[in-house]
Amino acid sequence: MKSFMDNIWKNRAHVVMALPAFLVLLFIMYVPMAGLVMAFKAFDYSKGIFGSPWNGIENFRFLLASKSTFYNITRNTVLYYLLFTAVGTLLNVTLAIAIDNMLLKRMAKTMQTLMIIPVFISYAAVQFIVFAFIDTRTGIINNTLGLNTRFYSQAGLWPWILLVTKIWKDTGYGSVLYMSVLAGIDTSLYEAADIDGANKWQKICHITIPSLIPMITVMLLLSVGNVMHSDTGLFYQVTRNSGILYPTTQVLDSYVLNQIKSGSNFGYTAAASFFQSVVGLLLMLVANFTVRKIAPDNALF
Amino acid sequence: MAKQITNYKKDRFGVGQWILIFILFLVTVFFAAPVILVFIAAFTDEMYINQNGFSFLPKVWSMNGINSVLRYGQQLLQSYGITIFVTVAGTLLGLLIMSMYAYSMSRRDFRLTKFLSIFLLIPMLFNGGQLSGYIVFTSWYGLKDNLLLLILPLCVTTMNVIILRTYIANSIPYELMEAATIDGAGDYRTFFQITLPLMKPALAAVGFMLATAYWNDWQNALLYIDSASKQPLQLLLIKIQKSIEFLLNNNNVPATARAAMGGAIPQYSSTMATVVVVIGPIMVVYPFFQKYFVKGLTVGSVKG
Repeated sequence: MKSFMDNIWKNRAHVVMALPAFLVLLFIMYVPMAGLVMAFKAFDYSKGIFGSPWNGIENFRFLLASKSTFYNITRNTVLYYLLFTAVGTLLNVTLAIAIDNMLLKRMAKTMQTLMIIPVFISYAAVQFIVFAFIDTRTGIINNTLGLNTRFYSQAGLWPWILLVTKIWKDTGYGSVLYMSVLAGIDTSLYEAADIDGANKWQKICHITIPSLIPMITVMLLLSVGNVMHSDTGLFYQVTRNSGILYPTTQVLDSYVLNQIKSGSNFGYTAAASFFQSVVGLLLMLVANFTVRKIAPDNALF
Repeated sequence: MAKQITNYKKDRFGVGQWILIFILFLVTVFFAAPVILVFIAAFTDEMYINQNGFSFLPKVWSMNGINSVLRYGQQLLQSYGITIFVTVAGTLLGLLIMSMYAYSMSRRDFRLTKFLSIFLLIPMLFNGGQLSGYIVFTSWYGLKDNLLLLILPLCVTTMNVIILRTYIANSIPYELMEAATIDGAGDYRTFFQITLPLMKPALAAVGFMLATAYWNDWQNALLYIDSASKQPLQLLLIKIQKSIEFLLNNNNVPATARAAMGGAIPQYSSTMATVVVVIGPIMVVYPFFQKYFVKGLTVGSVKG
């Protein structure tokens, strides 16, 4: 213990340097964890979190009783995760391989620069861009195809609209990571394949893709921890938070945001929030455990 | 990035290559066209869009969209100021305190490093969620309508600290820092005069990511900012959309207001012009930082 204190004293400058970020984490990330007890309380804003009376699992019972809403939101959250992850990974990898195979490197670089731009546009701005394409009267899609589709009132179309928006926003950026793995592939593998008379496709199938598999696996596993969290902006902004579209577009994050904005039903929302945090934690632990088994270097802890 | 150029020397420039270029060209158009449309629509005549819809090749151009953005005048300037202030202050603060934390974590003879890394990792696994954050910040800390709520929640993220820490561990020789200490530099001096200047590439990568996160943040603003004098650009965008919606759904808008808008609610070119104003700065700055954040992303994927 003495030597421990000596060590800390000797490193007091490092303690001081770590302190500001430590305090920010403490007050911004850790203290709100205590707020999760709200899930077990009949919350009253004027009494505060600890002043409000306990009500056991009443909030959760209420949550489960409203089957359709809660069930719908959770289903949307999970299904969008699956859709975005499957399509996203496939496109990220394909795009990375395609760009990597271009012989005109400067052109490839320019294309990539242009493809990454959308990731830096906020959803608050993206929704105006989407509007320009799908507005009923002035939208480019309806005008070009001579249709009169009312996109903003047809919930059934939104999984596709959101998917295309998501692909547009994230694919360019998502491919960058895989490009860096491709850059690290040992070129002698390709040379050996050339000597053996392999063509382009054979090289891609037998060298390029197998080299990417470890990174793909790791990225997929790590994303499992985020199943319960969605890109809030996509669901809140791009849909213009329109009630008609909720059946296919409401996810846990946008639901909680809406409840906070409307200031109602905090106990009930806290239960949904609690569910989200706890399931997120469990999935994260499972994911990390699995990654540690197959690729210890990429595990988070 | 440079390494890629070495591969495929033997490949011929054949038909396959032309097909690939063609397809990738189409893909690039898919990504770039919507952004280009924003700029075109911002300079298209309002009435033209109202009658013919959005178009990549409008027949009537106009500066009215830009002019009507300038008419927001005071508010736009104010919001610009808030966004710039929050972005600059947040990025500098975040970079400083995250690199200090990362530096402390990388000290080999420091017994608290293990604790510091666990403390850093837990928020990645488990968090209180939006609702408890909201209640804690507004009712416990009593922060409401306060710019601190735009700055603090984004300034320390686990991933960014890991990137910085990995950079210190892999790219800056430990001996260099030890030598500085032997030469009589104190701990603070070693950090500020030796380590920090050598961290430039990592700082550029993290700094750019941090700055875009601040520039694009709308959620904290929507939750916490009430007064018009404190709303950042993204919140202004949301407010503009809300007021258009309000005008469209309300028939009893005063006639004078309608007349001022030229009969139509300015919802097309002027909103696009606002979007141009909001996303423009990032478009300008981004190409200069591209090589850094590509590197940062790669570093971040390897465990720290």
